[in-house]
Amino acid sequence: MYLFKNALKCIGRAKGRNILIGIIALVIAVSACIGLSIRQAAESAKAETLEGMSVTAKISFDRQSAMQGMRPSADGASGGTQSGAFDREQFRTLMNGGTSLTLDEYQTYAAAESVQDFYYTLTAYFDGSDELEPVSSESETESESSAGAPGGGMSPGRTKGDRMGNMATGDFTVIGYSGDNAMTAFQTGSTTIADGVVFSEGTTERQCLISEELAAYNELAVGDTVTLANPDSETETYTLTVAGIYKNTEANDLSVSMFGVGQDPANQIYLSAAALQGILDASASASETTTDAATGQETETAVGSSLSATYVFADADAYHRFEEEVRTLGLDDSYTVSSADLTAFENSLTPLNTLSTMAGWFLLVILLIGAVILIVLNIFNIRERKYEIGVLTAMGMKKGKVALQFLAEILVVTMAAILIGAGIGAVSAVPVTNALLANQVESQQSSQLQLENNFGRGGNFKGGLQTAPDNLPTGGRGGFAALGQNVSNYVTEVNSAMNLTVLLQLLGIGLLLTLAAGAVSVLFVMRYDPLKILANRD
Amino acid sequence: MEILTLQNICFSYGKVPVLKDVNYRFETGKMYCIIGRSGAGKTTLLSLLSGLAKPDGGSILYDGKDVAKLDKYAFRSKYIGVIFQSFNLLTKFTAVENVMLSMDIAGVKGKNKRQRAMELLAGVGLDEDEANRRVLKLSGGQQQRVAIARALSYDPQIILADEPTGNLDGETQKEIMDIFRSLAQQGKCVILVSHSPEVAAACDEKYELQKLSGKKEPKEKAAS
Repeated sequence: MYLFKNALKCIGRAKGRNILIGIIALVIAVSACIGLSIRQAAESAKAETLEGMSVTAKISFDRQSAMQGMRPSADGASGGTQSGAFDREQFRTLMNGGTSLTLDEYQTYAAAESVQDFYYTLTAYFDGSDELEPVSSESETESESSAGAPGGGMSPGRTKGDRMGNMATGDFTVIGYSGDNAMTAFQTGSTTIADGVVFSEGTTERQCLISEELAAYNELAVGDTVTLANPDSETETYTLTVAGIYKNTEANDLSVSMFGVGQDPANQIYLSAAALQGILDASASASETTTDAATGQETETAVGSSLSATYVFADADAYHRFEEEVRTLGLDDSYTVSSADLTAFENSLTPLNTLSTMAGWFLLVILLIGAVILIVLNIFNIRERKYEIGVLTAMGMKKGKVALQFLAEILVVTMAAILIGAGIGAVSAVPVTNALLANQVESQQSSQLQLENNFGRGGNFKGGLQTAPDNLPTGGRGGFAALGQNVSNYVTEVNSAMNLTVLLQLLGIGLLLTLAAGAVSVLFVMRYDPLKILANRD
Repeated sequence: MEILTLQNICFSYGKVPVLKDVNYRFETGKMYCIIGRSGAGKTTLLSLLSGLAKPDGGSILYDGKDVAKLDKYAFRSKYIGVIFQSFNLLTKFTAVENVMLSMDIAGVKGKNKRQRAMELLAGVGLDEDEANRRVLKLSGGQQQRVAIARALSYDPQIILADEPTGNLDGETQKEIMDIFRSLAQQGKCVILVSHSPEVAAACDEKYELQKLSGKKEPKEKAAS
């Protein structure tokens, strides 16, 4: 006990020296606190976002991997070719024959334990009719031309056996939702019903939702009927009843219409997947098959469709488990499981993670420099107090106790500085972190923008085509409208940075620095001989 | 009662002998003076007696027990009170804090340590104001008194003083010698190391150290 009292007395009677040590420890503490807080903020932001985030995933065909398999190896042997060159024919067959999974297959994987929810959308393209014209800024002639030669001038029909690929395009994108959960745009509120109601979940009745623009353009109201035609067979028509009129609360990017009027969000017609499937089945029954005399290739007129299935998971862990479970359930290696949510989430954390990494290095440098300064100061301190050590040991105080007293002194000074530093750090960590983060986000965005500009995409497409979900329309982002969205929604602000973990880490750092500096005291005290010290003084 | 015995004590600095076959006996209730010329090994002997150095040969017995086998820190802090020539006080502490710290190191129990320290300081002639003053603000004589009070703080049987009157004026010298005399009368064994004939004359017994031939002055001086 007297050691501690003595240590406090010594601190009080060497104020100048201890204030100097304290200031250095304070600078280290504030810097370390901010560094640790940034790292903590990054961790917390990640954990908090992941906690509240339900992850969705899709299974898609890995075309690149398939192409890789068909590429000949150096010695000419490959899994997919005999001739030593890339087997284009086999690739075409593969791509046309069924790279997309069937609904049954998707549902098999939906049975995986990790899956919380499952939904899908069917997408098909239809042409309009005289009483239903697509919303378009193009002239009537061009529109007719487009309708007359869908698929960018391709010949009508699609290759026989082509389940999804080479799908003809039309004036309207018709999306069939498996259920209310699949209508994510309505779930998130980006799309709402302006008039009427949404068709019943899973109904086979041909009730549809049309956009406000389309309704206004064709003077349609709830209860009216609209007729859609098979783009490949104009005589094959289907009549739908308008159950409701929806509006997009998010601004539509009109530039997407340059990909065709059917891609315009205003020309999207929603109905239940069961109803759309009914139409597709009817179209398949009425399909006519023709054979090209020159190539011998068979084409059919049935309306093509694409299927997009989405799996919902409670958290990221469940998503990762799903990746393993689907392999057990028999998913081929040529298919990949990917989550646009997780990717977007990881992208959103890029600036914060970069800042966190920088903070880590900064922390390391501060600690190293701090430790060196504290050790050097302590060496001077001990040498200056050599006489005191001599007197105390000559009085019979054990060297260990002298060292302990010196250790207690530096511990009290550094811990006091660290507590003050933690206080300053707690107040300043959030604004400093946010300021640094804003800087980082700005630099990230400007470099991204610069990159887009370099590629000539600096205009409306901030995120660029390459960042848009690959399997469109998803339904999750309001179909094609997702193209115009910038996926880089970075985390730009942290609310709290300092917490008990940071405080404990800070105290740990303080203790570590003190022990490093104190170890020097112990070494010096232990090697001092009181007789020599006092004799030299005499 | 014989409290301290030196048996054939030998000590050398490297190959230079300083002390050879020193045989002294010290009893309680008496004042001893170890005298000798400069370089005779007085301070070296004091270092041996105070447990700060170990003899190369022979043994020092404290109350019949070999000091070499005792805990040197316990010996210094409890059994022997040393008053160094330059006092060796903690200059940042007050006089009373120096005395109290000495009690703490010796493990003296009791709540009224401060009061006991003040009494000891009063006993050597320091008033309350002087007792609460930082050591550096005291005169040489006052510092000497603090050193004596500190040596007495844990009530050792032996009081060892190196040149206790060296830096003091005549009047103060007399007062200090009177304190030592009274301590001897209280039953302490007082050993003074000095080259002063006056100090030697004031003691009950004296031991004279002879400078050994071949002893090199500078080395002995450096160590003392």
